[in-house]
Amino acid sequence: MRKLVLLPFFLILGLAFYFIYIAVGWNALVSVSQWSGLRVSYAFSGFEHYTELFDDPVFWTSLKNTFLLFLLIPICMGLGLLLAILLDRSVRGEKVFRNLYLLPFALSFVVTATLWAWMYSPSTGVANSILRLLGLGSLAGMWHTTKDSVMWSILLALIWQFSGYTMMIFLAGIRSVPEDQVWAAAVDGASTSQLYARVIVPQLGPSFLTSFVVLVLFSLKAFDFIWVLTSGGPGTASHTLPVMMYRVTFEQTEFAYGAAVSVVLLAVVLAIVVPYLYLSYRRK
Amino acid sequence: MNWKQMVLLVGLVIVACLYLLPLWTAITTAFKTSAEVASTGPLSFPKNPTLEPFREALSSLKTPYINSVLMTTGGVVGSVFLGSICGYVFSKVRFKHDAIVFLFLAVGAFIPYQSVLVPLYITAAKLRMFGTIQGLILVHIAYGIPMCAILFRNFYADVPDAIINQAKVDGAGVWTIYWRILLPVTLLATLIVVIFQFTCIWNEFLFGLVLGGGENQAMPVTVALNNLKGTFAAQWNVQMSGALLVALPVLLVYTFLGKYLIHGYMAGAVKG
Repeated sequence: MRKLVLLPFFLILGLAFYFIYIAVGWNALVSVSQWSGLRVSYAFSGFEHYTELFDDPVFWTSLKNTFLLFLLIPICMGLGLLLAILLDRSVRGEKVFRNLYLLPFALSFVVTATLWAWMYSPSTGVANSILRLLGLGSLAGMWHTTKDSVMWSILLALIWQFSGYTMMIFLAGIRSVPEDQVWAAAVDGASTSQLYARVIVPQLGPSFLTSFVVLVLFSLKAFDFIWVLTSGGPGTASHTLPVMMYRVTFEQTEFAYGAAVSVVLLAVVLAIVVPYLYLSYRRK
Repeated sequence: MNWKQMVLLVGLVIVACLYLLPLWTAITTAFKTSAEVASTGPLSFPKNPTLEPFREALSSLKTPYINSVLMTTGGVVGSVFLGSICGYVFSKVRFKHDAIVFLFLAVGAFIPYQSVLVPLYITAAKLRMFGTIQGLILVHIAYGIPMCAILFRNFYADVPDAIINQAKVDGAGVWTIYWRILLPVTLLATLIVVIFQFTCIWNEFLFGLVLGGGENQAMPVTVALNNLKGTFAAQWNVQMSGALLVALPVLLVYTFLGKYLIHGYMAGAVKG
């Protein structure tokens, strides 16, 4: 009887699970098929697409770039924590500053990538204009259009987009430290830096964990921003696994091989998400 | 205000200016003529502000804009409503093995969409849903449910069980409690999730790129904006006005309902 009452709920669950698990399983099936080109084929090919990956230089470039994006984690955490502490100390305008720093995070990656393409425009863009203004014209360069600097250009823009978010998380963490501890430290004569180093930051574990997970997942899944700014180029210089998957699947129509790339990506993401969710919701 | 506070404030202002640079140059450039873009610095204020770039951008973005409005409306309504039901059952009704089932659902909010793209593409083609608004709405609902369920489950956990139990004693059924008691006292939670989903779906790119089809089909405005860089390659004023037009709904939400959006961001990341 009770089960029947919950039928609508289980139908919704079924819809979501179909799109998650049937789709993921189906995708895994494609990854071990011989499907190449526009002719659909589910004939078993073994794991050749997975072994093929290891011999594919694009895979290694993508992996290397994903690791490079992991630099976002310490940088955005450091910057976010610093901004959060500064805002915590500031006497006025906290809300205004907070909202300004967080603003980039709310925007679509397609919008921000379009803005940064203009920022990096070689002749009239802001980045080179500022360098010339500072008398550093010799440093003015091609930013996202040359192999050597493309990933760093992407990284810089993403720091801009994500550090406000980590700031938000750390500010919330700082605010949740019990006030009596802050008072007690003040009474004991702790300086401001001691207060943060010894009392507040050690209690920010959950904020660190949250920022870490969000940034790792983003780095692994980074597609929109890179696709709009560089399409993974020049050449394959700014490929990540998701970019590689898109290219292989929808431009080279190697469906099975693209599926194999996405299975590898999924496995890495799950290795992080499942323990995180388990720890978060286990006791409830 | 002592000198330390002054230094702090100046520092915060400088950082704020740096953060606003990309937006500032987008705004000034969007109102310049192509000639002025070429002859002036990217940060200078337009001498003769013109709306011509917006007109040109709109000529390419108009239909996709309407597509995005329809897609976002349908996606938000569907995912929030269905996600809310899931959140309710997981937090207040409970069933056998609900914790593990919830975990399986929550995972769906974090999977990389690349790992479902090929099956979606095949299914969409088979069901003749490729390039239709309905197809995109369905996908956004299905993949929106997990995150909405997580958010609602956390929000509903704050509703005292006593209220629910009292209603049960009074003879109210599972769905009466949901509709008559839980929803009315959690309107703010609903607003937060609606705003959160609105920005997610409006900003989304990958599904639109793969499943949206052409401009006369269901292409959302984010994909159309990306295509502007081909159509208006060196016309930065058109591209910037296009970017501003795409950002506009989110900027409005951020300006007037930012508090709730931020609340959603926090709830979406931090465990409840």
